[in-house]
Amino acid sequence: MRIKLWGVRGSVPVPGEQWEGFGGNTSCVQVTTDDGGEFILDAGTGIRELGQALAGGCKRIHLLLTHLHLDHIQGLTFFAPLFDPEVEVTVWGPPSAGRSLRKRLARYISNPLSPIEIGELPAKVSFEDVPGARWSIDGIEIGAELISHRGVTLGYRLSENGASLAYLPDHEPGLGQSLATSNPRWISGRTLARDASVLLHDGQYTDAEYPARRGWGHSALSDTLTYAQRSEAERLLLFHHDPDHDDARLETLEGEAVERWSGLDGQGAVAMAREGETIQL
Amino acid sequence: MSESSPPIELEEPAGAGIPDQPLELILARNLISIISLAALLVDSDQRIVFYNDAAAEIVGSPFEEIGTLPQEEWNARYGPFDDEGAPVPPDELPLSIAVREGRPAYARLHIRGERGPLEVETGALPLVGPAGYHGAIVIFWVIGDDGAGVG
Repeated sequence: MRIKLWGVRGSVPVPGEQWEGFGGNTSCVQVTTDDGGEFILDAGTGIRELGQALAGGCKRIHLLLTHLHLDHIQGLTFFAPLFDPEVEVTVWGPPSAGRSLRKRLARYISNPLSPIEIGELPAKVSFEDVPGARWSIDGIEIGAELISHRGVTLGYRLSENGASLAYLPDHEPGLGQSLATSNPRWISGRTLARDASVLLHDGQYTDAEYPARRGWGHSALSDTLTYAQRSEAERLLLFHHDPDHDDARLETLEGEAVERWSGLDGQGAVAMAREGETIQL
Repeated sequence: MSESSPPIELEEPAGAGIPDQPLELILARNLISIISLAALLVDSDQRIVFYNDAAAEIVGSPFEEIGTLPQEEWNARYGPFDDEGAPVPPDELPLSIAVREGRPAYARLHIRGERGPLEVETGALPLVGPAGYHGAIVIFWVIGDDGAGVG
């Protein structure tokens, strides 16, 4: 599979020179399977440029939403394939006891927040609650689990031909427990992250920032590193960068993360996710 | 590891057949582990998968020593029984009702505590997630000799 990062920022997009290095678009990751299948993880503002890249060439797309916070769906109405009647898009999202995924998304894609109603999207769009812990589409195995964040939120794992991507962009597994000492079975999202080839994981806050934001659903750097270590992921990419962290700050934090990772005896590689980065597995 | 370091809970051996816990149970465990009201956590198979320090004070052993217990074994150790000393049928216990029917349940009964029989009020709160039942939180309130709760 081929992975391309179109948006790695958390919370709100940040345009401007001082964010260009790591990128200012919110969460969006493209996964292209070995057979050319197109899967997209989240629809933050990064999906706009991805849509332009796909326009005219791709007729079948699966969009997997982790949750419906605005920074993960904001790009939906700017995603070109949704305006192509020849394209079939299946939107997968977290389950809800009360309202269908379509109705929940319609709160955003409707007046007064949107000039277009969800029923007016020209593409052949269907909306599906995730059917369970694991299912397969076009030869790729998809795992989904509820993970620790505010509101109903999924993490995903996409596996193909022995390679796997674990995607947990908004995740606070350390809330109320010690990740260093807990039984792994009691760590949120661990089934998804375990032994992943690449783990894209929330690393929004520094350890100094975290105490004032505990319970907001995001992780401190030290928790993310410990989580990756206990998951035994081969490669950790810190994701969902705080909008207040500019390039210079992220460079510094990346250096700190690498240093601390070696101190933890981590086995894999650690880096900050960068918009535009491509990973071939 | 230094003597003061907390123990690392290791994974069960491969093939133990125990799945990772669902988020509903993980968050519930995190919650009851920090409250001072005696509480335990039951999974969808009605196994006692965790109890907190306040509950350990009542039963006499920390969870780390006992570990996960099937309900039958828990009942064999600690009761519960009614005012006449007869065992309460497992199906009538609040935790069974909460898991089986997905509704809160309450009972006043007796258990064998570390320091002898205790009368307790107990309530069970079902944990119902989007994917179905994932167990229950069960809380205990010990009744003192004067009928008042003593925690």
